[in-house]
Amino acid sequence: MPVIRGTKPTRAVLIALKRRMKVAKTGHSLLKMKRDGLMIEFFEVLNKAKTVRKELVDALVKAEQRLHMAMAIEGTVAIHSVAYALQTEPSIQLQSRNIMGVVVPKIAAESVQKKMYERGYGIIGTSAAIDEATEAYETLLDKIILAAEVETALIRLVEDIDSTKRRVNALEFKVIPDIKDTIKFIGMALEEMERDNVVKLKMLKGKSQRRVAAEEAKKLAEAAAKASA
Amino acid sequence: MPVLRLPKFGKPVKYAYITGRVRAMKTKLIPGEMYPRMMAMDTSEIARYLEETQYKDEIDALSKEYSGVELIEHATFANLAKTFRKLSEVSIDEPSFLILEFLRRWDVWNIKTLLRGKFAGVSDTEIVKYLVPAGELSAEYLDELAKKDSIQDIISAFDGTDYASALAQYDGKNLASVENALDKLYYFRMERAVGGTLSVGGGLLLKFVRREIDIRNLITLFRMNKAGVDAAVIQENIIPGGKLHDELSRMAGQPFGEFLRSLEGYPFWSSISDIATADIDAVSRIEARLKAYLIRYAWALSNYHPLSILPVLGYMVSKETEVANIRKIVRGKEAGLPAELIEEQVVVA
Repeated sequence: MPVIRGTKPTRAVLIALKRRMKVAKTGHSLLKMKRDGLMIEFFEVLNKAKTVRKELVDALVKAEQRLHMAMAIEGTVAIHSVAYALQTEPSIQLQSRNIMGVVVPKIAAESVQKKMYERGYGIIGTSAAIDEATEAYETLLDKIILAAEVETALIRLVEDIDSTKRRVNALEFKVIPDIKDTIKFIGMALEEMERDNVVKLKMLKGKSQRRVAAEEAKKLAEAAAKASA
Repeated sequence: MPVLRLPKFGKPVKYAYITGRVRAMKTKLIPGEMYPRMMAMDTSEIARYLEETQYKDEIDALSKEYSGVELIEHATFANLAKTFRKLSEVSIDEPSFLILEFLRRWDVWNIKTLLRGKFAGVSDTEIVKYLVPAGELSAEYLDELAKKDSIQDIISAFDGTDYASALAQYDGKNLASVENALDKLYYFRMERAVGGTLSVGGGLLLKFVRREIDIRNLITLFRMNKAGVDAAVIQENIIPGGKLHDELSRMAGQPFGEFLRSLEGYPFWSSISDIATADIDAVSRIEARLKAYLIRYAWALSNYHPLSILPVLGYMVSKETEVANIRKIVRGKEAGLPAELIEEQVVVA
């Protein structure tokens, strides 16, 4: 029976422990609910992450194929030359949102998907293969940003589920049983003390009764002696 | 557009010498039956085969700097530049003038690369790697330009030339308008230059230039109509000139399906009719077909008048096509692209 070390078996401690027990049980049930809620959220995000990851891989394969195609049609020399013309870098805005107390990032990107004539290179001197490669990479970048958002949320959720699970388990298998045992121990100790007191009282009572009886016997003996004299 | 000062040759010029040289140069081109064989070779085998052809010197010279596909690509571009410079050196009078006008497309290419490189803050040694000195501007002059500190310095270097008006459109933020202006200038010059020739074949060359403008405009329409760009923006990207300028201009901004329907009946329609559908995924396939159509048109014209500029045009187009074919095969094979996709892009006579 593991008892919380250094606990004094007093009534005040017992009351405090019972209060703590109540808080622990409430916390345990709340954390269990949070864990279950996070698990449901986790599976939803996991499904989304799987879809996004698949789309990301597909977009990567397509982008690579389109780039190789453009390199074959136009040559790396032309591709390098055109790439120099692109200078607008996409900007990323990082915000956060809350999923059951877990703070996850929300990434918004600007200037990723550009119109054909806003890409910086002239239309007349370039080819459709370059447009297609650029467009495929723009789509890929969008998918990367989305995957970063979803997968970071997934990692944060996993971390939080893990810590919540540890807390639930600690409460369920350590804190609550320990408090329970300690309450039981204190209860037993208090009962023991009570029994001790009863015995002591009984002993005192017996002692005093014996003293009274002895005194009465003494008195009777003295009275009998006086009468015989 | 600037008013060009084009030379007047006055009377028809003899083409016997230059066409003779071109006939000799043509024998060095890779025969059409080699391409299917190259498709079956790996990169090192293709490089070995090219070592047995006119590309040997360039492959040897560049093998220290590059390897594999990069070596083949840079070597073929270097050989193209050398061949075209040779062609312009061995010609005189009208042929020389017309060849140079045709080769100015490489000057435009190099100016654009220089501007893009400076715009992106790339080092001069890196920019030089991507220059193809096949036009009027020599490799040394282009090297000098690459060493300039800023775009403005490069633009200033062209003060007093025909390029100045196009380069003046640079607004400091975007290169697209300058690039388009340079391309428009090239075709404007070309149309005017060819229009001024009195020699046999001049009319057919003008027909080719106009058809090239039409095909370029058509490709722009395919790209921009498919992307749903506004008609006004498309109009800015249409090259003035060409035979079908007005008709094609009217198609700017049309819904893609309607645009395809309005192309039916044109001479180029038969070359794209089987793939030109409203749901086409890659416009580059249509572009490849249209470019092949133009190349074949140039080849067909080259046989009309043996002693004219037309065989020279046919050779220049063949040489550019050869370099493009080699690149498409080696790059495509290296990237593991399906053979059908590579074959679709390769143009063989």
